[in-house]
Amino acid sequence: MKNSVRFQRSFEGEIMNFSPLNIILLGVLGLFGVGLYGLLITRNLIKIVLVLQILVKAAVLALVLAGKAGGNLGLGQSLAATVIVADTVVAVIGLALAVQIRRRFGTLDLPAISTLKG
Amino acid sequence: MAEVLMILTIALPWLGALAVWAWGDDDAQQRGGWYASHRLAVAFSAAAGLAALALLPSVSSTTVLRIPIGGMFGELTFVPDGLGVFLTVVATVIGCLAVVFSVDYMRGERQQRRYYAFVLFFIGAMAGLALTGSLLFLFFFWEITALCSYVLISFYNDDPKAVAGGIKALIITQIGGAGLLAGALLAYAYTGSYDIGNFIEKAPTLPAAVLAAMAFGFLAAAAAKSAQFPFQTWLPDAMEAPTPISALIHAATMVNAGVYLLARFYPAFEHVPGWRTAVMVVGLITALLAAFMGLAANDLKRVLAYSTVSQLGYMVYAIGVGGVFASAFHLLSHAVFKALLFLAAGAVIHAVGTRDMRDMGGLGQRMPFVRNVFIVGALALAGLPILNGFWSKELILEAGLEGGPGWALVGMILGAGLTALYTARMTWLVFFGQPRSDLHAHDATSAMRVSLGALAVGALTTWLLVGPFSRMLAETLPFHEIEHLGLWEMTVEILAAPVTWLAMGVIGIGLAAWGLRERLAGVTNSLGWLSRAAQASFGFEWINRRVVQITQGAASLLRVTQTGELNWNVLGIVGGLVFILAILVWGVR
Amino acid sequence: MMMPMGVLAFLGLILIPLGVSPFVYLLGRVGVRTSEQQQARATWVRWAALLTLLATWIPFVLAASEFARRGPAEFQLETIALRLDGVSLLLAAAVLGLTTLAALFSWPYMAGEIGEEKYYTMLLAMTGVMVGLGFATDLFNLWVWFEAMAVSSYLLVAFYRRQAASLEAGMKYLVQSATGSVMVLMGIALVLATTGTVNLSEIRAGAAGSSPALLAAGALFVIGFGVKVAMVPMHTWLPDAHSQAPSGISALLSGVVIEAGLIALLRALMALAGVTHAWGLLLMGFGAANMLYGNLLALKQTQVKRLLAFSSLAHVGYMLLGFGISLYTGQTGGAQGAFFHLLTHAMMKGLAFLSVGGLLYALRLAKGDHNPLLTADLDGAATRYPLAALALSVAALALGGLPPLAGFMSKWQIFVAGFQTQNAVIMGLVVFAALNSVLSLGYYVPLVNALYRRKPSDVVAHGAVIPQAMLIPLVILTVAVVVVGLIPGSLSWLTGEAAKALLAAF
Repeated sequence: MKNSVRFQRSFEGEIMNFSPLNIILLGVLGLFGVGLYGLLITRNLIKIVLVLQILVKAAVLALVLAGKAGGNLGLGQSLAATVIVADTVVAVIGLALAVQIRRRFGTLDLPAISTLKG
Repeated sequence: MAEVLMILTIALPWLGALAVWAWGDDDAQQRGGWYASHRLAVAFSAAAGLAALALLPSVSSTTVLRIPIGGMFGELTFVPDGLGVFLTVVATVIGCLAVVFSVDYMRGERQQRRYYAFVLFFIGAMAGLALTGSLLFLFFFWEITALCSYVLISFYNDDPKAVAGGIKALIITQIGGAGLLAGALLAYAYTGSYDIGNFIEKAPTLPAAVLAAMAFGFLAAAAAKSAQFPFQTWLPDAMEAPTPISALIHAATMVNAGVYLLARFYPAFEHVPGWRTAVMVVGLITALLAAFMGLAANDLKRVLAYSTVSQLGYMVYAIGVGGVFASAFHLLSHAVFKALLFLAAGAVIHAVGTRDMRDMGGLGQRMPFVRNVFIVGALALAGLPILNGFWSKELILEAGLEGGPGWALVGMILGAGLTALYTARMTWLVFFGQPRSDLHAHDATSAMRVSLGALAVGALTTWLLVGPFSRMLAETLPFHEIEHLGLWEMTVEILAAPVTWLAMGVIGIGLAAWGLRERLAGVTNSLGWLSRAAQASFGFEWINRRVVQITQGAASLLRVTQTGELNWNVLGIVGGLVFILAILVWGVR
Repeated sequence: MMMPMGVLAFLGLILIPLGVSPFVYLLGRVGVRTSEQQQARATWVRWAALLTLLATWIPFVLAASEFARRGPAEFQLETIALRLDGVSLLLAAAVLGLTTLAALFSWPYMAGEIGEEKYYTMLLAMTGVMVGLGFATDLFNLWVWFEAMAVSSYLLVAFYRRQAASLEAGMKYLVQSATGSVMVLMGIALVLATTGTVNLSEIRAGAAGSSPALLAAGALFVIGFGVKVAMVPMHTWLPDAHSQAPSGISALLSGVVIEAGLIALLRALMALAGVTHAWGLLLMGFGAANMLYGNLLALKQTQVKRLLAFSSLAHVGYMLLGFGISLYTGQTGGAQGAFFHLLTHAMMKGLAFLSVGGLLYALRLAKGDHNPLLTADLDGAATRYPLAALALSVAALALGGLPPLAGFMSKWQIFVAGFQTQNAVIMGLVVFAALNSVLSLGYYVPLVNALYRRKPSDVVAHGAVIPQAMLIPLVILTVAVVVVGLIPGSLSWLTGEAAKALLAAF
């Protein structure tokens, strides 16, 4: 519980010291931000799948960090491992779909494969 | 006994609908021209009419049937009180006559199963609406009548005008229906039950704002259903329906529901500030506007439609001034003579194949039977003695003298004159004068004659029933304070009242105005603007179109947001997150 | 605790479909060389899928009767606990009912498609996973089921690998769903960091006061699960995916998958119920947005399946309204109405998509044409396909909330709950919802008119026959929609328990 209090405090940005937890927190926020930003600007389907991976890595890191901060590191790690597995499946399906799309549309450019609208 | 009859009255038409759907035929070519749909429909509707008539001796104000539905749905209850049974009789008997008329009118049409199934469904729903004692099921049946009217108005689905008319009727009555929905929900939320009697009893104890919201919600629902100002626009467009359906909607079922609703809940709402005045003004405006529009229209069925709107205005006005009995009595008269007029008009349209009165003229010689019964109906509509329309209209005017302001009464008397004028114009254009085009015409066929003859006799005689009718209402409506009115009493009362003679004078002027129309050409010309405004339905159609346009425009604009691009879609997610976080931050502070 | 029999029953609910699904794939693939062999195997595959789903009803009935006798039950498997309560039972009933009918419908519909065995494999897997989602007792378990459901549905949406539009829809669905899933994980991380646990009831006990981290976690749940529930503005994938999937799958996606997402969201939010009452308001707000947006966009659609997809948005709005009312007031009424609407919507939307699917099959697919079915193509369909036309009309009118059909009663129950709060704003929202129902008639009703024209369109005049096996589910669902509309209390044993279980926190 002590950890949790400390985490809350750092989350609220009261004291920003460079403890390892805070560095990881910065990493999480950075990955999350980069991932979302990437999803907003990337126009290539393969890159979208890659950016999605960055986003998921933020979540993986966040789970480990949360396990530590919540005083239940083992749980956090096992969750992270599960997420990695599940996420790999999604990535594989995403890439497979991208291959099929390249075959049908002849391109991976997002505007060109956006035919369903309105 | 009463509970069995009540179940029969509702269930027979519905079973009939199922029977027609299951064993009927879609056109005469099917199954060797046995006309299974016709026969089944006539049999079941006649049986329902008999069941409803048999219910008359056992009217009471007690709930005779309770079926628990469970949980928030309360109980399905039925109360055979005077008002409900009366409306049920009107719906089933006149409905049955419309079905009989349809036998000839719809002969040779296709998709007859759908036609008869929904006519029967409609009649049953109307009986249910009138008999139920539960607000939930009142709304339930209310919505079913809207559904049925939509299906039947757009029966000719290949005609875009019919489809539009049906959808318009459905949407407008449903918008008004939201008022009934809100009212019923309020009643449940504040009294803990859907029971109508219980609600009326407890109404004075409810918070004033709640009661007022309910009162005006119900008024909106009634106005939409009964085609009153400002919702009147759907009824003329509903004329695309087959004519027996018009008769059914106008006389037997749909439009009566609104007046019924106001009459039923009058004791609960009469002390809500402004409610009675609002009801009265709605009726007055409707009666006058519709009369003007009826004067300007050239389509026979449209004239009749406007006259329905106008006469319903009289009934609504009567409730506004406290004449619930006069209103119900006029509802009875109107149901009979309007069904007669519509069915007679149907016979004319069936014979000549057009609805435009400018193409008719001189039809009286070739269809004398139809002409004679039409004149009976027309005189009743105009309110001439001794037809039923005369007595009930005078009762309304008298109630207006007692319970309403003078200016409103003047308006209503003026409306009576206008009614006489457009009735005379319509009758003349169709049956008299020289034929204006080369139309083939034949007189009514036998099934049509049965219905028309019965209704014509009704138009001449139903006023004789005032004694038992008023006693029935007086004894079974504990909250309405209706007094028994004997036949002799009514005759004396009406004939001795100055307002009767005033109205007769105005009606006379109206009739004379048609006789002297050529000499009054100057007046007519100077009123051309009014006629043009009336033909444009005083701008209400424009409002309707604008509402539709704005909705469609908004829909088209919103389609732009569905770009189909992945980046944009993700922006929706991110934007949603930022938005919620902002709300929570703002809300928590 | 439950008898071993009961434990077996509710494990069987998950394990039978989930366990059989890989074998269905193997059955369709192993040792198949010639196309004749393939056809023979395809028949086996269909039988296997259908019989598996039918067999799953046995544990369902057992579990339901155990539940009726002893109430909720829990089962511990190492660190994972599964719990059978009203919500899981209701979800299982909806999922099993609709998938069984969809499998029967797909028999002729998917016959001869490339990769038919994959279709049934994923169908069975999705069934098991959705049932499992209802049993989850901790946040992470919930996420795993949720993700598994998403993965199996990606493949089903993008099933027509030769169709560009289908691939496009699948891809969008995948990316958006995965993004939402990451949001959920972030929310879980926040909860774990703050409370040190992911168990739902422990979180509920620990998270009493308002804390910024838990507020943010709730927001992330709303957005993350909201993608799957298709709350506006996270809904953009739905019209594409639901209109491009095979019709049986469209029925499932609209009828139970988004609702399963909704249940996941509610489970997660209920753990945070102590943090703030704003969750209820938030859901009501989203509900209002969904109704208006869904209805307005559906108004302008020319493709039938896309129109139905937008109508799903609107109907999710009604459920959100009902749940929002309950979350705000703590009374079970709104949730009960919303659960009722969830069930009736599964029936109505299932019926709508299956009947449109039947028409689509007869008018297009039977001839190898994969173009979407347009509203104009439906003209006069009743002349040749009376049963399918009747089914679609009943579904459309029920969705529009007309009595005596099921949709009227379930909307009514939500509305009653709204008025029982006697809160002016909520009552206003209810009236708004009622007017939205009227607006929705603006697109349902012309569909019905078109069906009953006398003159059939060219497409209808040259259409193929709808196979009998497709008509059976249509008849069953049509009867169900009418019966539930006339006897609304018939499902309250499910909805009442579900609402009680959901609101146990209050």
